[in-house]
Formats: sequence, structure tokens, C-alpha cells
Amino acid sequence: MGRVHRHAVRLTRRFMSASPLGRLTGLLPLIGLILAWQAAVMAQIYPPVLLPAPVRVANAFVLYGGDIVHNTLASLSRVVIGIGLAFVVGVPMGLLIGRFAWLDRLFDWSIQTFRSVPPISLIPMAMLFFGIGDTPAIVLIFLAGLWPLLLNTIFGVRTIERTLLKVAAAAGAGEALILRDIVWPAALPSIFTGLRLAVGGGWLTVVTAEMIAVKSGLGYMILNAQMTFRPELIFAGIIVIGAIGLLADFAVQRLRRIACSWQEGLTVQGR
Amino acid sequence: MSAAFIECLDVGKIYEGRTGSVEALRGVSLACAEGEFVCLLGLSGCGKSTLLQMIGGLEEPSSGQIVVAGRELSGPSPATAIVFQDHGLFPWMTVAQNVAFNMKARGVGAKQRRERAAEMLALTGLSSFATRYPHELSGGMRQRVGIARALTTKPRALLMDEPFGALDAQTRARLQHELLEIWAAQRTTVLFVTHSIDEAVFLADRILVFTPRPGQLAADVTVDLPRPRTPRSPGFAALAAKLRGLLGTEEGSE
Ligand SMILES: Nc1ncnc2c1ncn2[C@@H]1O[C@H](COP(=O)(O)OP(=O)(O)OP(=O)(O)O)[C@@H](O)[C@H]1O
Ligand SMILES: [Mg+2]
Repeated sequence: MGRVHRHAVRLTRRFMSASPLGRLTGLLPLIGLILAWQAAVMAQIYPPVLLPAPVRVANAFVLYGGDIVHNTLASLSRVVIGIGLAFVVGVPMGLLIGRFAWLDRLFDWSIQTFRSVPPISLIPMAMLFFGIGDTPAIVLIFLAGLWPLLLNTIFGVRTIERTLLKVAAAAGAGEALILRDIVWPAALPSIFTGLRLAVGGGWLTVVTAEMIAVKSGLGYMILNAQMTFRPELIFAGIIVIGAIGLLADFAVQRLRRIACSWQEGLTVQGR
Repeated sequence: MSAAFIECLDVGKIYEGRTGSVEALRGVSLACAEGEFVCLLGLSGCGKSTLLQMIGGLEEPSSGQIVVAGRELSGPSPATAIVFQDHGLFPWMTVAQNVAFNMKARGVGAKQRRERAAEMLALTGLSSFATRYPHELSGGMRQRVGIARALTTKPRALLMDEPFGALDAQTRARLQHELLEIWAAQRTTVLFVTHSIDEAVFLADRILVFTPRPGQLAADVTVDLPRPRTPRSPGFAALAAKLRGLLGTEEGSE
């Protein structure tokens, strides 16, 4: 019995880690959740106006398909723009701050102060300054992405091997070459860690901001569904938010693996 | 000034650390003629790397002065190239890109870089690994890449910091032979740091022996053995025994 059990555990482990199909085991808990949801509906723990059946939610994707796609694209484009701006600003700043100690002394306290402010708490101010629409949302996403990108870039620059900088100094390399050929690639793995956090934070922020400061997007759609008593659309919206969060994370990690392929075999990361 | 290519005059180095200062070197004076193969021999921690980095212009001496190619140092001299103890290869660059880096830093054009890198890769037997990344190489191959990179700029002096320290005996012996061949062909000056007595006797025209705490130059020994040398010859063994005495290993300081 014990041996059979151990054998089964080993087979399962091998399946989960090795085969490409094995990666799909990550879906199991989600399927379990849907089953539990269905069970709760059948047991009528909550009335259907609060807890719609899975089938009804699936149906909502057909019924409100156009709405969902339109709002999803609205949210996505805001995040892409906001995080894109955060990348363009945060990464070069981080490379310079990490490289030059005097810039670090100049900015460190300010960065630590501002990064402690949750972007969501800035919604009222953003609305005062930018009104209602895309601008306040993009500004908030920008801020949500800026700090993780900036801090992880700085961290990445700090972890460069000292010898490599000595090689550059001995070769008489100029500062531009050092930044482009050494500092930037050395920091890239960390920058991707920052990007992953930034994309996650940006996605959280966009949904929240859309519930208050914008009249489109998934956040707005969910809030609107609540006010018009369409719980199945609320659920559909939440599922889309979660699924896109998952896919965005996949995308960033895939990108990381391509951009940092030289790292393969150096770390256990990214298998 | 004499005809020495590398000259140190009463050079000292004190590192100021958070836990107090460390005197790494005191009163080191040496001269090294062009084309000479000189080994810096000493036990761990006696300041060999420190001295080499100062000659390479990467560290500033706390006292004294260093002259390379007739000019007092202020920063790395274009006449020298360094091979580092831990090879210092860029993990995100291919072997060919690593080898070409020193030339890129000097603004050599892309075409010329490619040609010269290919030449040096051929010289060090790495041609078939040009597109690999450092982590795909063995330790010995990585050291060769470091040497190939240092040679690309035709340095008049090669500063080598225990380049073969982490290798097995066979690989080490093979690379020592190759290095002597390169040295004979290119006629560069070599300053070679090692803590291995056998390696020093095998390679050097002259051995500078250092003693620790603080690092000081204890002896300047000329090696009069004809090349190729073999550790089994009586002259080799006698010299090795003499160096063992100079290093003070029997006192068990390390
Ligand atoms: N950057 C540094 N800061 C402070 N102390 C240092 C620094 N570099 C070296 N030292 C100290 O200087 C002394 C000499 O070090 P060095 O690395 O030159 O020795 P070494 O002869 O090269 O030793 P090894 O054979 O182990 O490489 C040591 O006591 C070391 O602790
Ligand atoms: Mg050393």
C-alpha cells in the first residue's frame, strides 16, 4: 500500500513538473472552485439574484459579448499606455540612479516617500486635476507602475558584479557604452521583476480607477452591472479581470525568458 | 628614469574600511623591463591583486608612484590589459562579443573588431565557440576568452591575476604552455600573479616574492633555467625549495 502510494506520488510529481501538459495542472484548483460554486448554487445558499449559476455567467459572455470586449479593450489600452510610460521614465531613471551615488543621495528619500502612497488614494486628487476620463486613469496606472520599475531597476544595477565594471574601466569604456552594454543588460532580469509587479499593480489600479473616475472599462462595467441588477455580468467581469491578469503575467514571463536567455543555466529561475 | 617598462616606486596601499583600515601593501619598489615575464608570488592576502590592480590603473596607490610606458599612472593605461582572477566575462554577451569588448570600448570599427576577435579566438583555440555564452563554457575555456579579450588591443603588457588558479592540474599545464607560446610570439611583457611556486618557476624570467601583513616585496629571484622547463629537473626543484623558504610556508602562516 505504502509503496503503491509513493509510486503514485512520484508519477504525479513527474507529470506536474515535466510534461508540457503537466503545466495545465494549474487549472485544477480553478475547476474545483467552479464545481464548488455550482454546488453552492444547487444548495441555494444564496438567492440567484446574488449568486448566478455558472451557466448563466457563461451565457452572459454571449449576451453582453460586445460590451465585454469593448470595455476590456478600454482597460487594456489604459494599462498598456500607463505602464509603457512608467517603463520609459522609470527604467532610465533607475539605471542612472543605480549607477551614480550622488543621484541616489538626491532622490532616495523622495522615492521612499512617494512610493508609500497607494495610487488609489490619489483618485480624488487625480479627478480634481484631470476630470473624468482616460487621463486620470492613465496617470494613476503610471504611478502604480513607476515605483516598482524604478526600485527594481536600481536594485538590478546595484547587483552588477564589481569585476565587470573593472573590466569596463580597464578597457577605457565610456559612460554611454557602460550604461548600454553593461548596466542595462545586467539589470534586465530585475527590470522584468519590476515590470511584472508594475503590470499587476497597474491592472489592479485600472479597475479601481474605472469604478470612480472613468465611464468605460471593466471596473465601470462591473459597477454598472451592479446598479442594473445583472449579477451574471459582475461575475463575467471578474472572470475577465482575473484571466487577463493571468495572461499578462504569462506574457511578461515569456518576454523575460526571451530577453534574458543568457541567464538560462545560471539560475533556477524561469523554468 | 630607467628603461623599465613598468616601475613602482615605494608604493603603499591602505584600504579604509568600516571596521578600520587594512594596510595591504607597504614600500613596494620594482621595475619590469619590456618583454619580460615576471611572476608575483605570494600567499593569499599579501596584496598581489591589489598591486596588479594599481598597475592596471584600477586602484590608486595610497603612497608612492607607478610609471607605465614612461608615464605616471592616472587611470588605466592603454598600454596594458588585464586578465582577471574570476575571468570577468559578461554573461549576456557571446564569446565573440566578449572578446571584442575592449576594442569596442576604444572605438574600433565593427568590421575590424570582428576580424581581430576572430584572429584572437583562433589563437586561443576558441573559434568554434564564438557564438556560445560564457555559462556554456568550461572554466579553462572561460580563462582563454579572458586572455583572448586582453590580447585584442595588442597590449604592450599583459597583467594576469591568477588566471589558472581555479583549474585542474592538466588544464592548467596546457594553458601555461599556450601562454608561453603566445608570449614568445607576441613579445608582450607579462606580469603574472600566482600563489603556486611551481607555476612561477615554470613560467617566469623573474619571480618577485611577497610576504603578508603588510604586503611587502621580500625577494627578487631571477630564473636561469632554460625553457621548456620541467619540474623534475634538479635546477627546478632547488629553486622551488629556495622559494618555499622565502615564502615562509614552514612557519605555517596560512
Ligand atoms: N577593496 C578592498 N577593501 C578593503 N580591503 C581590501 C580590498 N581589497 C583587498 N583588501 C585587503 O587587502 C589585502 C590584500 O588583498 P589582495 O586581494 O590584494 O590579496 P591577494 O594577494 O591577491 O590574495 P589572493 O591570493 O587570495 O587573491 C587583504 O587583507 C584584503 O583583505
Ligand atoms: Mg588575488
